[in-house]
Amino acid sequence: MSGGGTWGLILLVTGLFLAIPHSTRRTRNAGGLLITAGIVSILYALPRFGPWFEQLVFWALALLTVGASAAAISMRSPVYAAIWFAVSLLGTAGLLVQQHAQFVGVATMVVYAGAIVVTFLFVVMLAQPEGHETHDRLSWGRLAKPASILAGGTLMALLGSACGAVLNGDIPRAGDGQSLLDDSSELARLGNELFSVHLLAVELVGTLLLVALVGAIALMIHGRERRATREVPDA
Amino acid sequence: MPEASQQLFNYLIVGGLVFALGTIGFIVRRNLIVMFLCAEMMLQGVSISLVGWGRYHDRLGGQMLVLFMIAVAACEAGVALALIVMLYQKSGKLDVTFWQGVREEGRAAFVDRNVPRELDREDHWPRLTPAGIEPTLDEEAPLHRSRV
Repeated sequence: MSGGGTWGLILLVTGLFLAIPHSTRRTRNAGGLLITAGIVSILYALPRFGPWFEQLVFWALALLTVGASAAAISMRSPVYAAIWFAVSLLGTAGLLVQQHAQFVGVATMVVYAGAIVVTFLFVVMLAQPEGHETHDRLSWGRLAKPASILAGGTLMALLGSACGAVLNGDIPRAGDGQSLLDDSSELARLGNELFSVHLLAVELVGTLLLVALVGAIALMIHGRERRATREVPDA
Repeated sequence: MPEASQQLFNYLIVGGLVFALGTIGFIVRRNLIVMFLCAEMMLQGVSISLVGWGRYHDRLGGQMLVLFMIAVAACEAGVALALIVMLYQKSGKLDVTFWQGVREEGRAAFVDRNVPRELDREDHWPRLTPAGIEPTLDEEAPLHRSRV
């Protein structure tokens, strides 16, 4: 990673340290500023590609995705965390569409933002009627938070330096990058591949969904039965 | 084409940042629901980089993997949310430290006693001022509660 990227990473990690719970309001605002500055300088240090408009769209979407992810992990209230996660999903979907993966982008938006995040909000409302719980305002112990944030920052730096091999052009490409650009038959090709090459996997995923459904119901019923039998000897 | 590798590099960096943020959140946060959201965020980071690789190699394999990941994530969300609701019914809390004593049969309990208690300075209840001026309230203080 270049110098700007390293400084951006340091800013990002410092901002996260200030913004994640176990913090006061003032340090949270300062942390948000530092996180934004860090992300912007990391993005600015990345190598340019393509025409300026495409570059601009990429910057906006990447800032939205990474910024919303950082906000999601530093919000105290789980409702806000879920909503910021949905915003980050919208950014992700935009990035996927920019990579000519239109169907996957739309599926991400529909399945994640439409179904999973809404289910999350249902559970939050079931479990947490109002206000902030103690465990939302506090993180783990004094040493645990800096240590884990440092570990996460190291992970970012390692990933960044490992990706350097891509920039050198060491990795041979399997195609010339033209066939995916043909938007007119994108869905048809996707469907062809999905139901010919990956047919067995599609069947397996269908079975997995059924098993997960049965498992979720079994978990709920089983939990209730255990609680009922435990209460009997007390009475 | 060097342009393609630069584009791939950009997407890999963004995917790696999202993945690492999810990791940090999963380790740092104590709320069960937020921890689970962070696990989903890590999946998002992986899907960004998978689609980037698919574009680089001009193959549909990356998008296929992301489609299957979405299906598996949906299964995971269903099971995990059922688990969270069940745990909440048993304990009345979403705090993961409540379950830190869970262990296999016959093993000694590991209970971390250093989990931080709430700091006194965070209880900003309104104080009466002798001058008779209306005291300034911390907006968040009335929302805080220490137990359900």
